[in-house]
Amino acid sequence: METGQPTEITEQQRAQLQFQLFQESLPKVSTSVFRMLLNEMVPLSVAVEDKVGENPGGQHETSSKNDLEEAIASNLSLKPCIDPPSHKLIAEYAVADEDKRLRIKARLNSMGLQIGKKLSELLIFSNNPNLNFKDMDLLTVMKFICRDVWRQMFGKQIDNLKTNHRGTFYLFDYDYRPIQCLALDGDVSDLELNMIDPYLEIPCGIIKGVLLSLGFDAKDQVSCEATVVDLPDTKTGELGSFPKGISFNVQVLLQ
Amino acid sequence: MSSGSGNVQNGPAVSTSSKKSLRVFSDDIWKNKTAKINAELFTLTYGSIVSQLCTDFQRDFNKVNDQLFAMGYNIGLRLIEDFLARTALPRCDTLVKTSEVISKCAFKIFLNMTPQVSNWSNNKDVFSLILDENPLSDFVELPMDASKELWYSNILCGVLKGAMEMVQLDCDVWFVSDVLRGDQHSEIRVKLNRILKDEIPAGED
Amino acid sequence: MTIYSLWIFDRHCNCIFDREWTLKSNQASGTTNSKQNEDTAKLIYGMVFSLRSIAQKLSRNESRNEIRTIATGKYRAHILCTATGLWFVILSDLKQEDLSHVLRYIYSEIYVNYVANNWLGPIDFAETEQEKRGQGTRKITNRNFVRGIEQFLSPMVTR
Repeated sequence: METGQPTEITEQQRAQLQFQLFQESLPKVSTSVFRMLLNEMVPLSVAVEDKVGENPGGQHETSSKNDLEEAIASNLSLKPCIDPPSHKLIAEYAVADEDKRLRIKARLNSMGLQIGKKLSELLIFSNNPNLNFKDMDLLTVMKFICRDVWRQMFGKQIDNLKTNHRGTFYLFDYDYRPIQCLALDGDVSDLELNMIDPYLEIPCGIIKGVLLSLGFDAKDQVSCEATVVDLPDTKTGELGSFPKGISFNVQVLLQ
Repeated sequence: MSSGSGNVQNGPAVSTSSKKSLRVFSDDIWKNKTAKINAELFTLTYGSIVSQLCTDFQRDFNKVNDQLFAMGYNIGLRLIEDFLARTALPRCDTLVKTSEVISKCAFKIFLNMTPQVSNWSNNKDVFSLILDENPLSDFVELPMDASKELWYSNILCGVLKGAMEMVQLDCDVWFVSDVLRGDQHSEIRVKLNRILKDEIPAGED
Repeated sequence: MTIYSLWIFDRHCNCIFDREWTLKSNQASGTTNSKQNEDTAKLIYGMVFSLRSIAQKLSRNESRNEIRTIATGKYRAHILCTATGLWFVILSDLKQEDLSHVLRYIYSEIYVNYVANNWLGPIDFAETEQEKRGQGTRKITNRNFVRGIEQFLSPMVTR
């Protein structure tokens, strides 16, 4: 019987177990409210754009004023301002001009960036025995994003990571969670892809935020954009899953 | 279908009359039937949203409050179905029961907290939810300029408004105090304006 | 057990989904969201509405008295009413006495996932006042929901 190796594994295992117990002891909330919060970030960004963007919708202003007068006239309680339904706001994004879309995406990216920065701090201070942030090279950071960051945010890991070892990375997610319940009629159309487009912007911001907080913080050093890709043959046809995968393309300029 | 015999049965899935059973019922759903994530992740995500809104509205905190409310409202319209699917609860007969279900069941199974219900108005149409803890604002500190105007967790009011509207309760929901502003406790006020009538097909009335 | 059809009504008295199977031998047969079914939908709505009102009146005590099944000489209607005013109705043969678990599954697993959690589609199918009170015609048509219903119920059509 070997004696050295098992104890080593046990120590590692003990650290793992301790970490797991610690994680389980942390305060929790339900996954579904978190998912809904993420889902609503997209229509939120469109609604904000309509209020503060280049051409804040003049129509909205007048109609809300009329509502107000009506409410006062009919002696009803004052209605707080309510936005159009979520799906209408997302549809509005899909047919908006390029400039408006870019502004909406920038807003989502910026929220993602803040999430990414705070999330990496959170994970760094979590004493995960699998993580060693000293002398972390870029590839290790990317693996950390694929595994730990993705698992925290989306409950799963990135399915495939490709790199040219010169700062270009492709992170493939064939089951990108935030869009799995999203669907229009029939087969996926251009309209539908336009509607899910803003949902890809939040993780782009998150990836950037994590890289930024781990030292890749020179101006314009990191860029990330997402594209829709076909699913590999082994993954297609599952019920209630989005029939396309996502590739997050990360470019890091090495100093 | 010319003739029919009504087979009418009694009884909701859980009796809401006993306070204790509602607590046990909700605990079981939270412990055994709810997928969970770390509350800190939720806190920091919400924090990123609020801070983005403060930037977008150039620190006009009244507008931020309105936007958080509107965001919550749209969530509430959908969240209520998730809630009813998990609990199979029927409509409540009184606002007192509604308040119990909100605090002991809804807050419990979504945010793992149980606000106290208090400060009832004499005619039982207004009550308060006292939040001793609040996973939206854990470890949050408001900057000086925000601490008088921003209702940081205002999304909760919107969610409650939207969710209750879907069960025909037209309510006003607003914060009256928040520990983030230096208040003793965080208090949400809920006022029932009216119970909306179920629609009936056109031409039937 | 044989299931003949599924009907979903919203709080605006509108039929927002219908699926009828015609041939037992062919689970793919029949119609989905068919215009021909409009009248039948109205009749089913009326039947449930009336019996529901009677049941409500009969119960004197506080607890609600929801209607669950209605049997005729040849059919049984199974009904689930949610607090949000959704009605799920399945018509089956008489062999199956209680399909409440099936209805509950449709609501909590299929409707909640693919309608309530589908941010690309509406949660309220009446967009204007003119589309309320049984006058609306919008249906749940998204691919996840339609396929979800199909996959779940088709095996029960002929069993």
